[in-house]
Amino acid sequence: MAESSRFLEEVAEATDVERRAPTRLKSRIYSALMRQAAASGPLRPLGACEQAGGTLCVFEKLAHAAALGSLDELNYCRACHARVLGERVERAPLAWHGCPYADFQKI
Amino acid sequence: MKPGSVQDDSRQTGAADLPGMVPGGAADAARRDAILDRDRKAIAELVTLHADTIYRFIYHRLDRPESVDDLVQEVFLAALKAFAGYRVESSPRTWLIGIARHKIADYYRERLRSLVLEDPATAGDEPAAEPRLDESLDRRKLDEKARAVLSTLPEAYRAVLVCRYWDQRSVGEIAEMSGKTEKAIERLLARARQQFKRRWTDG
Repeated sequence: MAESSRFLEEVAEATDVERRAPTRLKSRIYSALMRQAAASGPLRPLGACEQAGGTLCVFEKLAHAAALGSLDELNYCRACHARVLGERVERAPLAWHGCPYADFQKI
Repeated sequence: MKPGSVQDDSRQTGAADLPGMVPGGAADAARRDAILDRDRKAIAELVTLHADTIYRFIYHRLDRPESVDDLVQEVFLAALKAFAGYRVESSPRTWLIGIARHKIADYYRERLRSLVLEDPATAGDEPAAEPRLDESLDRRKLDEKARAVLSTLPEAYRAVLVCRYWDQRSVGEIAEMSGKTEKAIERLLARARQQFKRRWTDG
């Protein structure tokens, strides 16, 4: 049976619409990546992240200063409320400068 | 502005992925090295820069929206594992899309083998009239309509149609992924197309 596929091809092409990933998904992906990274070895120290151009959040800055670098390889996001909120609430009201979970909320 | 930061990245606009633009580069190599060094900010940047692209790519090609989030996450986790092999010959976006293609193929391999791909049709065999796209509908409305129509079809029809036309797999690939013959897939697709067109016109 010779039957046209053209209509289906047109519909498929016409329905490729702009779409953004949910902010909760971005947060969950980042958390999963960090878990996987931390499981494979120590994270790059906070001081080195900053030197490489990364912006530390206020908690990371405090931890970095208080621990004098000795606990710089820990993943502080694991214990942060921003992670919990980011993973559970779409467009969570997070505004911490340098916080990845806050950055994921930006449109 | 700090070098290598999100703000100085022209790729954020997608400009670096346009035809004719040079893929890869020093910034991508620096990012790769930072990720290999488990730099938390570089990992966050990977998500910020590419999650929307990969999400859209996968969402468009899957027959079940509820599977999209898991597959997108799998792409990023696989990328993190494979970053040592990323040679910066293509942009990270292109490289990630390559991983997404493989993940989608794995998804359909499992999906098509889990479905009973026998022809579930009960409707008559008469060919459906060839509908026309309503050009007054914008793309988003068309997408909503297409998804609504697909959701009314038997799972086997929905899976082969989306795999064939949205994910653009050949009949041969679908046959290989499903363990069926090309003839069987052709027959299934023909029935699925008829039902899709009939319901599109009725809806």
